Amino acid sequence: MNFFRGVMGGQAAGPQPSGAETIQKLCDRVASSTLLEDRRDAVRALKSLSKKYRMEVGTQAMEHLINILQTDRSDSEILGYALDTLYNLICNDEEEEQDESEDAVTPIPASGKHKNVSMPDEAMQKQSDDLGAQFTEQFIQDPEHITLILSLLEEFDFHVRWPGVKLLTALLKNQGVQVQGIILVSPMGVSRLMDLLADSREVIRNDGLLLLQQLTKSNAAIQKIVAFESAFERLLDIITEEGSSDGGIVVEDCLLLLLNLLKNNSSNQNFFKEGSYIQRMKPWFEVGDDNSGWSAQKVTNLHLMLQLVRVMVSPVNSPGASASCQKSMYQCGLLQQLCTILMATGVPADILTETINTVSEVIRGSQVNQDYFASVNAPSNPPRPAIVVLLMSMVNERQPFVLRCAVLYCFQCFLYKNQKGQGEIVATLLPSTIDANSISAGQLLCGGLFSADSLSNWCASVALAHALQDNLTQKEQLLRVQLATSLGKPPVSLLQQCTNILSQGDKIARRGSKVQTRVGLLMLLCTWINNCPIAVTHFLHNQENVPFLTAQISENLGEDERLVQGLCALLLGICIFYNDNSLENYTKDKLKQLIEKRIGKENFVEKLGFITKHELYSRAAQKPQPVFLSPEQMLFDHEFTKLVKELEGVITKAVHKSSEDEKKEEDVKKTLEQHDNIVMQYKDLIREQDTQIQELKEQVATMTSQSEQMQTTVTQQLSQIQQHKDQYNIIKLKLGKDSQSQANSQADSQVNGLQTEELSQLREDLEKLRQQHTLLQAQLSDKDALINTLRSETAEGSAASDNTEMLKELDALRSQVHSQATEIDQMKTERQELLRKAEAASSEAVSSSDGSLDAAKMAEVESRLAAQTSETERLKEESKSLSKSRVDLDQQLAAATSTAAILQTEKAQLQTEVQESKKEQDDLLMLLADQDQKIHSLKQKLKALGEPVDDEDDLDARDQTDDDEEDDDEDED
Amino acid sequence: MAYAYLFKYIIIGDTGVGKSCLLLQFTDKRFQPVHDLTIGVEFGARMITIDGKQIKLQIWDTAGQESFRSITRSYYRGAAGALLVYDITRRDTFNHLTTWLEDARQHSNSNMVIMLIGNKSDLESRREVKKEEGEAFAREHGLIFMETSAKTASNVEEAFINTAKEIYEKIQEGVFDINNEVRHTSLCFSFLLKPLHSSSVPVFPLFLLSVVFQQCVWFATLPLS
Ligand SMILES: Nc1nc2c(ncn2[C@@H]2O[C@H](COP(=O)(O)OP(=O)(O)O)[C@@H](O)[C@H]2O)c(=O)[nH]1
Ligand SMILES: [Mg+2]
Repeated sequence: MNFFRGVMGGQAAGPQPSGAETIQKLCDRVASSTLLEDRRDAVRALKSLSKKYRMEVGTQAMEHLINILQTDRSDSEILGYALDTLYNLICNDEEEEQDESEDAVTPIPASGKHKNVSMPDEAMQKQSDDLGAQFTEQFIQDPEHITLILSLLEEFDFHVRWPGVKLLTALLKNQGVQVQGIILVSPMGVSRLMDLLADSREVIRNDGLLLLQQLTKSNAAIQKIVAFESAFERLLDIITEEGSSDGGIVVEDCLLLLLNLLKNNSSNQNFFKEGSYIQRMKPWFEVGDDNSGWSAQKVTNLHLMLQLVRVMVSPVNSPGASASCQKSMYQCGLLQQLCTILMATGVPADILTETINTVSEVIRGSQVNQDYFASVNAPSNPPRPAIVVLLMSMVNERQPFVLRCAVLYCFQCFLYKNQKGQGEIVATLLPSTIDANSISAGQLLCGGLFSADSLSNWCASVALAHALQDNLTQKEQLLRVQLATSLGKPPVSLLQQCTNILSQGDKIARRGSKVQTRVGLLMLLCTWINNCPIAVTHFLHNQENVPFLTAQISENLGEDERLVQGLCALLLGICIFYNDNSLENYTKDKLKQLIEKRIGKENFVEKLGFITKHELYSRAAQKPQPVFLSPEQMLFDHEFTKLVKELEGVITKAVHKSSEDEKKEEDVKKTLEQHDNIVMQYKDLIREQDTQIQELKEQVATMTSQSEQMQTTVTQQLSQIQQHKDQYNIIKLKLGKDSQSQANSQADSQVNGLQTEELSQLREDLEKLRQQHTLLQAQLSDKDALINTLRSETAEGSAASDNTEMLKELDALRSQVHSQATEIDQMKTERQELLRKAEAASSEAVSSSDGSLDAAKMAEVESRLAAQTSETERLKEESKSLSKSRVDLDQQLAAATSTAAILQTEKAQLQTEVQESKKEQDDLLMLLADQDQKIHSLKQKLKALGEPVDDEDDLDARDQTDDDEEDDDEDED
Repeated sequence: MAYAYLFKYIIIGDTGVGKSCLLLQFTDKRFQPVHDLTIGVEFGARMITIDGKQIKLQIWDTAGQESFRSITRSYYRGAAGALLVYDITRRDTFNHLTTWLEDARQHSNSNMVIMLIGNKSDLESRREVKKEEGEAFAREHGLIFMETSAKTASNVEEAFINTAKEIYEKIQEGVFDINNEVRHTSLCFSFLLKPLHSSSVPVFPLFLLSVVFQQCVWFATLPLS
């Protein structure tokens, strides 16, 4: 300890070692001391120096500290010091809690998230940041170091786990992306960190929350894993345990982590919804009506809770995802709860504002929720619809700007894709439904339009425009509204009153910006008459309107007025584009000519372009919510930017085109449409054919594979047949040899002899049959020839035949065929028998090896025995080979049987052939008989005429032996 | 919707075997011929009934590529069931099963139920892996097996439900402990929390209405032409 006191008291008299020297000495001790206690003291000393001499300790000791983490795993104390030291090096936040006396073994833990107490000046902070970044870089150069910290976090000891958590948090703060990457790929890295939330020591759990906040920052993959590890469940539990919105900073930390997990992560949002966690948010908003005091923490908590709801139903989410969340928010009563806050008293303004924004997005585009919202009443006396109460605030100058914006947003969301709601709002202005006694939405909007406050003008204009958006019916309905500005004067239409304010605006003293009022009204007018020819006609009907617009556009006005000029050009453009030419003075052509004369086409288009070129335009185009840095910037409405985008191009084109062009274009359009139709048809056809082709292709593929399979089967079978043939040949050869050399084993010779004999017999038979077959064939051809001659003879008109003989012959042939078939059958049975005999023989061969013994003459017996044994051996051998050849023979026989079958079919064929030829012959015979009859009668006539006639005339008696066929090939395989 | 049990599944296997399509078929009952490549992990859920009990299935569909392996590994631990998918028309996807299985076994709870799925059974003509081979592999490694088609929906329902049945049986047998959530409530460190700020923020009354209304009279008007 003395040593350290020396170091610490650096200002004391006498030559003191420099910081660097001391640190070097400590490092040496850490590296080389064999005593744990010694190393521990040195690390503790380094820790105490690590703030004052951050630079030196960092550069000199980092490696040694990491070594300690790797090697001194068993001593949690030294690990704790090393981790603390590393934390001091890497962390850039000035922390208030560190009471760094060297004896402070247990630091007083504190939640790591602190607003700095003593703010160092900027330069110092920068230097500190640089050091932190540098040391972080150095530390994570080897990814193993992060893995090392991760493994240390499994250490249960508070002195290790806690500084470990803080160190990792600091590393993530400095080099988030890289450290996230390392943790992500280290096995179970994220899961292990999730376990921190289950730590029973709240400090660790709370600092674990901060760690997870850093870990999940803009990393979707990690966010998903954390969610998978039941983060939603855990966090919602903690929030409840800590008292929900009344809870402390831990609730805030949980909410921040939840926001990290859900923002822009559709997969996690889906998980959150599917896990029924939306239902668990509902109780958060059960804040009583009599909230006397709202703590800052509660405001923060509720603010974050509202943000979480908004994340789930944000307009940037996919419509389907938002819609299902909106549905469950209604079903579980969350929307109702939010509306209660909306109507409650004593709610802080920013919470109220954020609640309005939240309700807006919960109802946006969801008919059920919009309907519910329309039915909400304020607890006033008499009860008023919430919409009316909100609109009162929108046109109330005393309300905060952001709140008025929020109300406008809410109103817009209420009307978004809500034709019913639009109708209800417009109806409050129509004569039949007006209730003079109560304040209606329509009255409030008109009040806003004509108020002396430009912001109210703008908001009311935009709100009314949203009641008309994409709704032709309401655009036309609103044209019916007439107003009387003062008694005695004729009524003026709402449309006209708007233009009047526009043109006479200067006469009224207004608060706020004149431009704002005019921009608002112009946007309303554009939206109103867009896509509504009747409204265009109404607008043009007033003779003052067009001159006013052309004057505005053509004038050379200052920067401020440019936007107004652009909007006037847009309005005039719409008057051209949606003109049904029903007013003679203001047909499309006339208006175009007017532009050309008074303004000039180019000038007009340039002015039109002012709108999109305005600096605030693209901001508003980004998202539906009206958010403005200041009231003066409130110029563009999101929906209106869409309208401009849609119209700018077409109006420019319309202005540039002559009327003939237009006609042509119309024609072209029609042809194009037709073309399109044709193309569509073709496309359908192609699609159909495509699917057909696809199906056919698949069929072809199936067939190809099938045919391939068959082919392989055929090849296999062919080769098998070849093999059988080869084997048969070999057996034949062998059998020939065997029968010659067989004299020893009678049984065997018998068998083989018999077989060979039979076989040769068979072969002979077959040979005979073959000869017969040839003979038969020859006879058949002879017969054919005979038939032919007969035919020709018959043709010559002189023929006679021996019918009975032929018939007999045919009979004989048939019986021959029959007998041959039986012969074949016999041969088959013979073969079968052979087979059986062969089997019997082989079994005999095995058993016939025992000789007899003569007990008296041992020697002889012995020798005989020996001889017999050897003979037995030989016989066995022989029988083995025989049985093998028998197997082969079996196969051969099987083959022969199949051959027989083939032969039989062939025979059947031949039989039918015979049948046919017989039928032919029968026909011939009939013919012959006829001829015979004729010849006979002719002969009789000749005889009667006295001519000499030969009795055996012309007839060529041929040698007619047995013919027809019965071919039997014997072939072996 | 209340449920008796909640099961977490993961779907693993090579890329392109049809994991995302299987999930879509199961959750949305539709097939998407052109499916986006899964980046990392995607979530899906559905309710089923087993033994008269409502069971919620939470399913994580993973990316098959090697580069996402380390990420998807994180999902093994918490999962009660895994669908290991290969494509019957691509033998390589079948050959890789061993690697997948080793990975799963190494990182998961040993009780995790694994269902082997041979997908794209509708493409019989292009089949490269016999059904018997799949069965044999499953038998050898103690998995349940099915051939499915995410396209025709054949067996898709069954694959997910049979896996759940197996898990359900394990629970009945007491192998799984579903209620392993530990509660951690300890007040010993609560003094460490940041002190609450009790200063109140100003409260605005919302409805102090003072709209100066212009006199407006509405006339009955004729309907539009
Ligand atoms: N014919 C057919 N195609 C499928 C089937 N399942 C998926 N596919 C196709 O296979 C491709 C890859 O599917 P995908 O689900 O993205 O695979 P993942 O990478 O495993 O998620 C896609 O083109 C799908 O259309 C199936 O059962 N039958
Ligand atoms: Mg996929």
